[in-house]
Amino acid sequence: MDSHDRLLGAFLAGELNPADARRWDEHLLECEPCWLAVREDRAGRKAAQLLRQPAPPGLADRVSFAVELAAAGTIAQQLARHRMRLGWRWLAGAGSVAAAVAAAVALLLPGGRQTASMPAAVAAVARYAESIPPAHGQGPGPGGSAAPVEEGHPVTVTAGGQRIVLRTWRLGRVEAVVAVSAEPFGMPADALGMAGPGMAWTARLGSIGLYCRNGHASELVAAPVPQAELASLVARLPPA
Amino acid sequence: MGADHRAFLDATLPHLDVVYQVARRAAGDGQDPEDLVQETYLRAYAAFGSWRGGSARAWLAAICLNAARSQARRRHRRPWEVPIRVPLDALPMARAGRDQDTADVADVVIAGLDAQAVARCLAQLPEPQRMCIVLMDVAGYTASETAQVLGCPRGTVLARVHRGRRRLAQLLAEAGVSHGQP
Repeated sequence: MDSHDRLLGAFLAGELNPADARRWDEHLLECEPCWLAVREDRAGRKAAQLLRQPAPPGLADRVSFAVELAAAGTIAQQLARHRMRLGWRWLAGAGSVAAAVAAAVALLLPGGRQTASMPAAVAAVARYAESIPPAHGQGPGPGGSAAPVEEGHPVTVTAGGQRIVLRTWRLGRVEAVVAVSAEPFGMPADALGMAGPGMAWTARLGSIGLYCRNGHASELVAAPVPQAELASLVARLPPA
Repeated sequence: MGADHRAFLDATLPHLDVVYQVARRAAGDGQDPEDLVQETYLRAYAAFGSWRGGSARAWLAAICLNAARSQARRRHRRPWEVPIRVPLDALPMARAGRDQDTADVADVVIAGLDAQAVARCLAQLPEPQRMCIVLMDVAGYTASETAQVLGCPRGTVLARVHRGRRRLAQLLAEAGVSHGQP
């Protein structure tokens, strides 16, 4: 790169001092190749700027949620490892293979939350539902007849390799999360099968009731309501 | 580590928009840019403890490009390529420019362009030039940040972006008119 090219580069980067900039302006009036280079550079830059597009509105929520899940997973793994270390010391004394298997499964259940028998995608939906602050104000409860109102933006996450779109609906004082996925949601070990079209099941994780319909597209509803009220709440939600 | 995730999001979420710009152009065929952004943030979060500070958005862009390459390797596809080459004559701006034989490059490029036409011409540039343009002109990184992301001298970045912009303008102009005098 000669001094001429360096000057051109500095000019395009806006880094010429005022005196050099004046000299360069005079040069541009006389030098056809430099004038063309400047015009093409500006045209190319303006054209490339057409490709700018704002991030979709729900992307920040999606990323935040994925990071929060990762943070929660890290804590769970650390707890599990800690308990495993304690457990294996005890098991070495006991010397029972059956006890080892049973204890290993139990030790993988930090706080009874995300469990070995609870598929990651289901646990993620339940955790998302749990993270929604309780709704305030007057209005019918889950047994009422308020029309569902969507809250916020849909959030897309990937949990356990499964891509899930989460939408939140308010029905009176209750907020329900509806998760939709192209893949079926795994059935937790303690879930109850339900009669009806497709594979349907219900389960409970802490305060969250779960209702799943695995059909053409799989739908999992999560809401902080008693198990007996889940089916009526699901019936009031709009089709996914 | 769990307590760090708030600090991590505070430091990195303001740059979501620029990371998305990079992801849109870095994602290979069949790759969802939003998935790539999420993967970028998860990788960055995992490495947050060892991050030494500096430009968070340059750090995120470097992670995004690495994630795109990893995913492309897994899929046996190369990122930064548009697999379907549409003849430039098929572009709307190309047809619109046929009657403007005397128009200069800048006028042709700016008038009547759509983003899709630009994207297709951009895809024809050599990868080093294309990456510099994406980072600087599309995402808005400075030359110094771009140099940091790509691990090359700042002067190299400026030279590449200049060559790339000129070539991009020429490709767009060639699609519309025979090269006129400025």
